[in-house]
Amino acid sequence: MSGITSEFVKTIASIWHRFSLENEEADTLTNMLAPMDDAGEEVSSSIMFDLEPSDYNRALEELGDEEGLG
Amino acid sequence: MMDYLNLDICKTSDLVLSGELSATELTKASIDRAEALQQKLNSFISLEKDEALEAAEKIDKRLRKGEGVGSLAGIPLAHKDMFYRLGKITTCGSKIRSKFKGDRTSTVLSRLEKAGALYLGGLNMSEFAVGPIGNNVHYGDCFNPWNQEHTPGGSSSGSGVAVASRTVYGALGSDTGGSIRIPSAMCGVVGIKPTQTRVSRFGLMPLSFSFDCSGPLTRTVRDAARILHVIAGHDPEDSTSSRRKVPDYEAECDKKVAFMRLGIPSNYFYDDLETDVDRLLKDTRKIFKGLKVEIVSVDVPSHDHINLIWAAALAAEASTIHRKWLRDRPDDYGPMVKRRIEFGLYQPATRYLEALTLREKYLRAYCDTVFSKCDALLTPTMPVVAPRYKDLDVGGGESMPELVLMLSRNTRPISYLGLPALSVPCGFGAKGLPAAFQLIGRPFSEGKLFRLGNAYQEVTDWHNTIPKIVE
Repeated sequence: MSGITSEFVKTIASIWHRFSLENEEADTLTNMLAPMDDAGEEVSSSIMFDLEPSDYNRALEELGDEEGLG
Repeated sequence: MMDYLNLDICKTSDLVLSGELSATELTKASIDRAEALQQKLNSFISLEKDEALEAAEKIDKRLRKGEGVGSLAGIPLAHKDMFYRLGKITTCGSKIRSKFKGDRTSTVLSRLEKAGALYLGGLNMSEFAVGPIGNNVHYGDCFNPWNQEHTPGGSSSGSGVAVASRTVYGALGSDTGGSIRIPSAMCGVVGIKPTQTRVSRFGLMPLSFSFDCSGPLTRTVRDAARILHVIAGHDPEDSTSSRRKVPDYEAECDKKVAFMRLGIPSNYFYDDLETDVDRLLKDTRKIFKGLKVEIVSVDVPSHDHINLIWAAALAAEASTIHRKWLRDRPDDYGPMVKRRIEFGLYQPATRYLEALTLREKYLRAYCDTVFSKCDALLTPTMPVVAPRYKDLDVGGGESMPELVLMLSRNTRPISYLGLPALSVPCGFGAKGLPAAFQLIGRPFSEGKLFRLGNAYQEVTDWHNTIPKIVE
């Protein structure tokens, strides 16, 4: 389960981004962040050592339909 | 007199080229329609009457002289107000950019102009292209032409409305998680989100470098094919744009669909459909069967994680782009938009990079398991028809994330994967609001999607139904 709390979000806002958050705003953001954090944690274990984001562009071309080749 | 604005691009273009109809006459009619409906639908942010008429006169002169003109000569179009034009204001639907003048002209607009298309103005949109509803706190909400109590969908709200209301023949929109397909579905028009790198992003307001796409909304599949053929292709100004040859998409429309294989997902896409949408999708399946298209059942990979990591990556990129304004001008954002952008500020960089790194793996899995069994997937574009404004939380409150997820549940995973998807209207629900199906293909298979979509429109008439507000 995600350990993200409103206090954590407020601290990041103030230290990393130099602005302050109201409690209500921090609560809403926490509710939005928690499921994403959980999903991210779950899928991160399936990432292989030598993958990188640009592999996607190569795959897009490689897996593409033949109609646009020429 | 015949109402030429009710025709499609291909038929109208023939009339202009033959001299039966002048571009000037057509543009005047389009401007009159835009002015007559603006108060009711609010689809335009800016209307550039004089410039459009001047450009139309130039096209007419060239035609009279027998000079060559492009495939969109004299056709009035208008676009989501986020495609830059050198020296002209592009608001991006925002207060922050209300006076921003483009420092370049977007490649897609240059290509449309070269093809002879006319630019009528900037269309309403969700602020900074964030949000699937079509509301805008700065320029006023945009309204569904089929019923003004209902939303038109977003973020390319004005594009859907202006095309559906027969004000313009086509409009560009942008799609990062469904923003072309959702308003297309809610307004009863055709919309295509092309393969991720098919169309240049140069001069397009960024929301997310990884997922932004632009594409046309039109009344017919064939019209969308014509516009996409004009705007697609490599652009030296956008290093990510594909170098693949652009097929003749209109010619693809004429190819046979018999024995093509259409996959019906056995999981995810058909969950929790409204009764009307469910019924209309069943009817659609029958129509494709009648066209001798083979229908196969396909298990699609789980989308639960895809949806969440797409949102994480999008928010990371959007919040990077907006960080300075979020800090210095937070009150200049609408509440829903601010909330959806700012949560990217609270994620570690590793989460963002993991989301992007996994994209290749998911794309390969999808192509292996889905497109080895069928030419395209058939899904509902949305699980519901357009909701009423008054039933929605557009203020960025507690129920907002769930609402966004529900409206875009069938479109956003496809944006993460970067696949092409065509939305085609397929009938009306009990309240007279349109529903649509979505055809999803492997990368760069737009031609096949056009072929299937056009075959469907040749034996149905939904795309010729006109909202009462126009009559």
